[in-house]
Amino acid sequence: MPPGPLSPLASRAGWAYAPCMPETMRAHLFIPCLVEDCQPEIGEAVVSVLEHLGLRPELPRGQSCCGQLAYKTGDLDGARALALRYLEVFHAPGPVVCPSGSCVKMVRTYPTLFAPGTPEHARALGLAGRTFEFCQFVAGELGRVDLGAQLATRACYHGSCQVDRALGITQAPRDLLRAVRGLTLVEAARPDRCCGFGGVFSLQFTGVSQALVEDKTEEILATGADMLVSAEPSCLMNIGGHLARRGSALPTLHVAQVLALGLGKGSGAWR
Amino acid sequence: MEVTTRRFRQNTEDACRNGNLRAVLDHATRYFQSKRAAALAVFDGREEHFARARAARLTALSRLPELLEQLEQNASAAGVRVHWATDAAEARALISGIARENGVRVVVKGKSMITEEIGLNEALQSAGAEVWETDLGEFIVQLAGEAPSHIIAPAIHKSRAEVAELFQEKLGLTGQSIPELTLLARQALREKFLAADMGVTGVNMAVAETGSVILVENEGNIRMSTTCPPLHVAVMSLEKVVATLEDAADVLRALPRSATGQRMSSYVSVLTGPRKAGEADGAKQMHLVILDNGRSKVLADPALAEALLCFRCGACVNACPVYQTVGGHAYGWIYSGPIGAVLNSLLLPPDDTRDTPYGCTLCGACAQACPLGIDHPKMLLALRQQLRTGSGFGALHTLLARHPLAYRAAAGTACAVDPDLNLLARLPGLPGVKGFARSRRLPSLKTPFSARFRALQTSRRKGDA
Ligand code: SF4
Repeated sequence: MPPGPLSPLASRAGWAYAPCMPETMRAHLFIPCLVEDCQPEIGEAVVSVLEHLGLRPELPRGQSCCGQLAYKTGDLDGARALALRYLEVFHAPGPVVCPSGSCVKMVRTYPTLFAPGTPEHARALGLAGRTFEFCQFVAGELGRVDLGAQLATRACYHGSCQVDRALGITQAPRDLLRAVRGLTLVEAARPDRCCGFGGVFSLQFTGVSQALVEDKTEEILATGADMLVSAEPSCLMNIGGHLARRGSALPTLHVAQVLALGLGKGSGAWR
Repeated sequence: MEVTTRRFRQNTEDACRNGNLRAVLDHATRYFQSKRAAALAVFDGREEHFARARAARLTALSRLPELLEQLEQNASAAGVRVHWATDAAEARALISGIARENGVRVVVKGKSMITEEIGLNEALQSAGAEVWETDLGEFIVQLAGEAPSHIIAPAIHKSRAEVAELFQEKLGLTGQSIPELTLLARQALREKFLAADMGVTGVNMAVAETGSVILVENEGNIRMSTTCPPLHVAVMSLEKVVATLEDAADVLRALPRSATGQRMSSYVSVLTGPRKAGEADGAKQMHLVILDNGRSKVLADPALAEALLCFRCGACVNACPVYQTVGGHAYGWIYSGPIGAVLNSLLLPPDDTRDTPYGCTLCGACAQACPLGIDHPKMLLALRQQLRTGSGFGALHTLLARHPLAYRAAAGTACAVDPDLNLLARLPGLPGVKGFARSRRLPSLKTPFSARFRALQTSRRKGDA
């Protein structure tokens, strides 16, 4: 493992000096259910990149779902129960890193599920404050933009609604991609337009969902890019699934996968 | 109009198959968005101005009862007859009553969503009056026997060719270009203005401190409707009040820019009472109907009161990818797009709008566009919570997720039995999955990340030893 100095971590957040931290800082992996069972390569790429940066990724046991699906279908009790579970799962101090904007957004929403002044509320605030979307963690918290990656490709970045708008993370993923030598970053005609997934929306409003993913795919293909890159696994599944249906071989990758590939750590990450 | 919110989902499926509609909507919403972007680009201090507009609206909501009383007093003092209506039926009866008392035969109307909301045209017609919409877009949808499909552009769903055909069929008039068609409508409507006994308009703002009604428009038809006939009835929902003229000015700086990309609309009318002795124009008699129709209940709900800040600029509607795809009629009632999904849910019975808050990907383009900082996704989530309908898929997933061992077992079994989810897509109880799979290859289940990660760690430990 490369020794990677940790100086940029310095005073950014309380966790940087959390106790029980050996010379190598640990990062808790928060793996979305979709990544766990359908896109494990994204998780592997996250591990590669974090290790490259000198961190020690750990996978707290007992992860299932952060409660996003319950929350977005109006089931507050279900969401609260799952939030309580996650407060347990991630009780150990230290940053929590997740390769999905929407899941991070859910954890940032936890404090609203508990009454202010309760211990749960305080813990939820604590967890929300140390849970980071992968790109934001690397480029923002660690301050590492140029990882020394190299990949000759034209990459079209899809800024997902949850990363771009809900979390307001527009620059970190783009900066990370631009710093990859040989990579040309291109944007589709309406880069911030929704791809039409929207969780249960895609099951309940199938026509609209399909129309939107068609629009999105057209605009991506029109860029002539070699790959579609996003920081949101569900968008990748949605757009990638549609690309496959229409017979396109355009690879769909998470930013972490592009970085891992560029660092020579890609396995079968191309889908 | 017939309320079809119960068929919302089916409506959207039908609309998606209408390629012509999609092309027209795509063109129109892009046009509105680009005009707006251009106007905002040269709007110095726009964040501050938007904040002032929001503050004016917030003041109105926080002092609503007091301001409405003040409005009543000052408008009455200026000679306006002020009426209160609790619901749509009361408002219809009231206004039909005014028409009957005054022997009204012909009514001209300015564009107003509130009279659509209460179904006023039908009521006036059954009271024996002839009713003419005088806004060009409203005139078009009235001729077509349709409802408006956008809060500021009622006929946005119609192409020029469709309008030309409609004029030919209904009016026997031939025109092709937009100026030609507009002129035809003008000529047809001019007679109506001159013959009208009563003008009915909505209200963009009512100023409590002066008792004035403010109307914003581009065609001049609203000014004609308020000045040609001897009788003017203005209808407002109660949240349209603002405290002062100063506040009204703050709202006016934001509204046209956000709505049509104009620095100011072509006409802004400030009406303080009917024509006074010695004045040359204005209606001889002016009525103001202040309508609740469910608003006070909304105001009492902290999660949803924000909806009443809205000044109907339509920016969120144009920014909404769902609206861009299906248009307004699919929503099943007069309001559409993000703010419409919220309003329809709040103003119609909950049983009629169970699907309405779900017709949204929560992408947040609406909240980003709204000059008043209204957070539509947050409100739609609050509505989903209140409905507690949930989704079967969501409930199952949550149940399993609460028991991680069961969750892993279920995922493991599925991975072994049906890794490509082919069976799942064919299960009869899951039409949504089938719909999803129609246009996407479903993801495959793979060896889970956690297993891979632990295997890696174990092998490394062995390597170290
Ligand atoms: S919610 Fe906001 S953007 Fe939408 S119409 Fe109202 S004021 Fe305009």
